[in-house]
Amino acid sequence: MKALAFALLGLRRFFRERTNLFFVVLMPFLMIFMMGLMFGGTSQVRLGVSGATGEPLAARLVASLGADDDVEVVRVGSRDDLVSRVERGELHAGLAIPAGYDTTLRAGGRVTLQQITRPGDIAGLTAGALIASVVPKEAAPIKAAGFAAAQGAGTFDETYRAALGSAVPGLDVKVTTTGEAVMPHGAAGFGIWAPPLLLLYTFMTALIAGVGTVENRRLGVTRRAYSTPTSAGSIVLGETLGKLVITLAQGLTVMLGSALLFGVDWGSPPGAAALVVAFILVGAGAATLLGSLMRTEAQAVSVAVILGLGLGGLGGTAVPLESFSDTMRTVAHVTPHAWAYDAFTRLVRHGAGLADILPTVALLTAAAIALFTLGAWHMHRALTR
Amino acid sequence: MPVLEVDNITKLYGESVAVDTLSFTIDQGETYGLLGPNGAGKTTAISMIVGVLDRDAGQVRVGGRPHSPADRRSKALIGYVPQDLALYHDISARENLRFFTKLYGMSRAAAAREIERVLEAVGLADRADDAVRTYSGGMARRLNIAIGLLHRPKLLILDEPTVGVDPQSRNAILASVRELAGEGVAILYTTHYMEEAERLCDRIGILDGGRLRAEGTRRELVGLVGEHDQVVFKVEGDPAHAVPVLEAAPGVGRVQRVEGEDGEVVAFVADARAAMTELMAAVAAGGVAVRSVEVREPDLEAVFLHLTGRALRD
Repeated sequence: MKALAFALLGLRRFFRERTNLFFVVLMPFLMIFMMGLMFGGTSQVRLGVSGATGEPLAARLVASLGADDDVEVVRVGSRDDLVSRVERGELHAGLAIPAGYDTTLRAGGRVTLQQITRPGDIAGLTAGALIASVVPKEAAPIKAAGFAAAQGAGTFDETYRAALGSAVPGLDVKVTTTGEAVMPHGAAGFGIWAPPLLLLYTFMTALIAGVGTVENRRLGVTRRAYSTPTSAGSIVLGETLGKLVITLAQGLTVMLGSALLFGVDWGSPPGAAALVVAFILVGAGAATLLGSLMRTEAQAVSVAVILGLGLGGLGGTAVPLESFSDTMRTVAHVTPHAWAYDAFTRLVRHGAGLADILPTVALLTAAAIALFTLGAWHMHRALTR
Repeated sequence: MPVLEVDNITKLYGESVAVDTLSFTIDQGETYGLLGPNGAGKTTAISMIVGVLDRDAGQVRVGGRPHSPADRRSKALIGYVPQDLALYHDISARENLRFFTKLYGMSRAAAAREIERVLEAVGLADRADDAVRTYSGGMARRLNIAIGLLHRPKLLILDEPTVGVDPQSRNAILASVRELAGEGVAILYTTHYMEEAERLCDRIGILDGGRLRAEGTRRELVGLVGEHDQVVFKVEGDPAHAVPVLEAAPGVGRVQRVEGEDGEVVAFVADARAAMTELMAAVAAGGVAVRSVEVREPDLEAVFLHLTGRALRD
């Protein structure tokens, strides 16, 4: 109850400060937005197609282009419109099919397709590669049908149907992965970067929140509170509880907001929530210890930033753990970030659930309890010696 | 039974002795002053008594029960007003008070009642909802005291509560302390202002270098060093005429004519206030025309100097 009094007063004072409102409410959304711009959105290539509407051979070509899951084909009215939309970035690439596509091909003539992309656009190049692979496949039966018809084997339609129905052996390349893929199919962009950024940000916020504890000690409020019938444990718990709520709100806002606004997949919701709560508890525990050890706010802020960035960097939030050497990966696991990183990897990339990451959640919770206990003990010592 | 019993409490910081076997008691309604210069060990002693600092030796009993930093029941009997303004400056006086009522475990109704009472008592009722950062130093000091009074403590401990306060607020604080003592609250008051200790305290302990050098009422302390009260008469005509008249009066130790002062004669007595009636009767009977009478009591500055060999404000 007394801890709650501390927590509620801390929250009231925190939210009364407008700059704090910015950092707690607006900052996470800005962060989500930035993440969304950097890593979010769809990985599908938007390919515009113009011309030859109603021509069966052209329709078949367009259908083949759209058969790939990674390509979204958008029909556009005219070539000029297609160029304009590619220029504006609405489409990654365009394919202009000339009028009379079917008639010319049926007559054994040559048709020139026009590919439109912006220079240096990676998605445009991807679309180009797709067009370069699909067009020859579509052209092969047309060429065969034209040849057969010219040899008197039947009409173009008959020979074309026959060509489509014939099974011509080809060369297939099949890729398989043995063991557990570090980056399974579909793992890309936000799904990889959002969890480490969340870990870096929330741990830093929790540590910075510990500065308030130092301020209360400097003001003498903590010692005065200890002169009342209030235990050191209640004071420490109360000091931490408010900050914990703030950091948790931030973390969960980032997760929920990024999922809703940018479709970020955080894996199993119970697993992700349990992991974030356990990780933030570690941050809050570290903040408690920091608040009991430091003498001035400036000292506490400096140490918080150094610790936040240092542990974050070592724990794989700046450079992915996968790129670390084996030795460095082992060393990295002295940080809570590395443990949480591994657990998030399993949740997000490999579809693990809460039960699968429970040992990590338990480990982080134990670390949090140890840090809280140490912080409370040192706070008591700092107050009474 | 004393409300506070301090028995040989000691605090060491390495080789340095901050408080050395300090002992005293305070009864209900009594105001006890710990007088000493800065660095004498007053705040360290107070912190041990309040229970926010561990003792290296000695015992403290509050309301008859042993008191320690972990003892929350005896802490509930103490109201503590630290030297620092230990309050939140970015919220209002009322919010500060409400927070501390929760730490004292008061019910919502009791808290509301006591908050209004202490706000009235320290004269902050009309500014109760303003942020403390908008307060003057004196107002913030008064709020600092109000927090210590919230739960109607049996023992109020004030550590230099008037430091940096304007004269008006200082008088208001001293008046409040006297009023509380009148209501039966035992008060421990530390100060390095001699006048405050003299005006306010029933008994005074002189602390220097962590040790209690002497203890007693102001009169007892003054008596320790053989000082006397002085009754200064300014008389019409020849002051030499007044000297034998005063020497003959009961209770007068000696009489001195002050050289260079126009018609001034000083009578040295043990207790000026007690002797005043008889002195006035004696001069009237002796036909001495008195223009004015002034009582000069020996102060604690002289006592401190006598006990420690240095001035209180050194």
